[in-house]
Amino acid sequence: MVEEELPAQAIEKPVRRGRRPSPRWDQFRRTWYFFRRNTLAMIGLGILIFFVALFITSFIYPANSTELIPYEATNGAAPSPNPIFPQVCTYQPGEVPPAPNCYLTPTGLPSVIAPTVALSPATLGPLPFGSLTLNPTEPIFYNTFDGLIKGAQWSITISVGVVVSGAILGIFLGVVAGFYGGAVDEVIMRLTDIFLSIPGLLLVIIVLAVFAGSITSTWDRVFLVIGAFVVVWWPTYARIVRSQVLVVREQRYVEAAKASGARGGRILRKHIMPNSIYPVFVQMSLDVGTVPLLIAAIVFIGFHVFPILNFPEWGTITAFSVQGAVLYSFIEACQSSITNTCIFPWWQFFFPGLTLFLFAISVSFFADGLRDALDPRLRR
Amino acid sequence: MRLWVYVVRRVLLVIPVVIGVMTITFALVSSLPVSERLISYYGPNPKLPYTPTVPCNKLYPGEPGNCTNPIYTKGVDALGLNKPIPEQWAIYIGNSLTGNWGYVGNKTGVTGQVPIASGQPVVKVLGWFLPYTLELAALSLLLILIIAIPIGNLSAVNRNRPIDQAARVLSFSGFALPAFLLGSVLLMGFVLLIGGSNGHSPFCTGQTSYTDLYGSWPPVQCFPGGVYPSWLNQGQISSPTGFPTIDAAIHGNWWFALDTVIRMLLPAFVIAYGTVALLLRFVRNSMLEVLNLDFVRTARAKGLPEKSVVKKHAGRNSLNVTITVLGLTFAGFIAGFPIIEEVFGLYGVGRMIAFSVTLTPYDFGMIFGSTILFTLLVVAANIIVDVLYAFLDPRVRLG
Repeated sequence: MVEEELPAQAIEKPVRRGRRPSPRWDQFRRTWYFFRRNTLAMIGLGILIFFVALFITSFIYPANSTELIPYEATNGAAPSPNPIFPQVCTYQPGEVPPAPNCYLTPTGLPSVIAPTVALSPATLGPLPFGSLTLNPTEPIFYNTFDGLIKGAQWSITISVGVVVSGAILGIFLGVVAGFYGGAVDEVIMRLTDIFLSIPGLLLVIIVLAVFAGSITSTWDRVFLVIGAFVVVWWPTYARIVRSQVLVVREQRYVEAAKASGARGGRILRKHIMPNSIYPVFVQMSLDVGTVPLLIAAIVFIGFHVFPILNFPEWGTITAFSVQGAVLYSFIEACQSSITNTCIFPWWQFFFPGLTLFLFAISVSFFADGLRDALDPRLRR
Repeated sequence: MRLWVYVVRRVLLVIPVVIGVMTITFALVSSLPVSERLISYYGPNPKLPYTPTVPCNKLYPGEPGNCTNPIYTKGVDALGLNKPIPEQWAIYIGNSLTGNWGYVGNKTGVTGQVPIASGQPVVKVLGWFLPYTLELAALSLLLILIIAIPIGNLSAVNRNRPIDQAARVLSFSGFALPAFLLGSVLLMGFVLLIGGSNGHSPFCTGQTSYTDLYGSWPPVQCFPGGVYPSWLNQGQISSPTGFPTIDAAIHGNWWFALDTVIRMLLPAFVIAYGTVALLLRFVRNSMLEVLNLDFVRTARAKGLPEKSVVKKHAGRNSLNVTITVLGLTFAGFIAGFPIIEEVFGLYGVGRMIAFSVTLTPYDFGMIFGSTILFTLLVVAANIIVDVLYAFLDPRVRLG
């Protein structure tokens, strides 16, 4: 509010001889100047950088990238050599602890509860908090720690794939609609009306349900998921771009380009497109975080998005971690508990949920900061 | 333009959209294999698969070779699957518009969860469960307004101060937190809170505190005599209206009416928390815009207290925009109903969607039917909002 005009360091640019800094670069510097002053946006950017690092790490991390691997039943065997997250090792009361890092299982408690019984600050180191059961009656603990790291590959690939292909389609149709106007515009806009009036989640579900039956390989399913989300998202991008193009095409510089004899294609490419896609970037960064959330929601209501249940994708892991059956068995265990050591299985959903939450909130902070930095009216 | 002319025009404009949506579902249905379409209409046939030809010895024991499959040809003829595509489209649109949405087909799946629904027309079943969803939606809408408007106004008045930042973080966290996760955690937390260490229900002997919050109403054991009252048809739907709260009130069971509302509070809160993110921002921005207008300055200049300026002058004028946005958010949060109803075990349309996607093969009749229903709800909500807006602000219908 206090400083409405640009401070010196935001406008001034190093002028080097023989090379004129491009106006685009100049605009980037200005945007970055305002973006940097927004604390929340910088927090979002920081977390995003962490996720990018995680994404890169996930390719070299030594774990199975196509399914979650269960911790092996190590009752009596030595714990795994992994120093950070050893395997679960449990023993019953009355037995001799088979190895140093094993947990006492109170009788009467199902295995969902068992691994946290040793929860105390002293033993926090070897806690198997990366554990998840898909079926509470079976004592299979999947290693979700590895799964969450490997899941970065799948989740981020799918999310970025969705927004990039959705944006390409949307920008194309939006520019065509906005620039040519008339009947083309009318047709495209009515189409977006139709698509936008179907609730997004349901549209994704029906597209998936129709095609999932005939597509069973993992990679094809990933492409199907991307396709299903693109069907939902292109109208948003198309509308944003169109409204932007309608403003931009009346600008003086477009008129000048026309006057100097530029053809339609060149004006579109060089003048209209670059000046009207910034709002799409904001929407794209918002949507990147939403994709894993929606996948999680679809898996949660019982639709198996991926061909195997223990697929290492953030949304899938999170959805299974709060499955009704698992929670209900926890409640039952608490009620039948004689030892009064009923422990909330928080680790089961906390870490997958935190991953999803941080990813979504960081991109929304980032997007919000970007919008504020790009829009002069919202600058602070 | 008169208001009613505006309303009629607005309703007429919706017809192409509705037909367009049905065309999309038609395109999706048409891309299903014929065998799956037959299964989803007639239910799985244990004796014969839905293939064009079957080994003859399945029809006439001992015969060699392949014969044409009678149930396949019969089904294809009956459903008109061998007609040209435009004719199929016309039939489909006609059926969709007249409410012929097929049957709850898969007799194996939904039966287990909702016995009364199996084999019934989809429209009828959706009609049973829609009132509950509407009741929940109304409660959520109320909560959204109660949360979003004061906080939005507060953050506009305290622009860029800590309150504004806190509201921003709150709304973003609502957007980023998966509804099912928040719902499950809240459900478990409240179950532990009510049940204490032994987890027994304080309201119903012999039951766990889980049943106090999970489900649209208490389990059958909690009713006098261990049976559901006759108006609560097998514990699945309530009659005559389908709105359990209203039905309970009609039958004079005030305890039950209160109970159904209390059970909806937590789900409604989760929905509201997730939806407020979008609304909060609009309320804040429209309030900021109004606060910069001349009449607000005049109000301040003539010495009105700030509280009255914000509440009476700016607040009421920024409400118009909020109403528009409510229509938009309705589309957003109605899609979340399958999740919320699944988390809290509520018998609404969303739960039926969740049931039908868990089946193998999927119950396409229910899935497509409920998608069209939800689309119609969104469209209707948009019309209502537009009309309300035109009613509040005459410039809209004149322009």
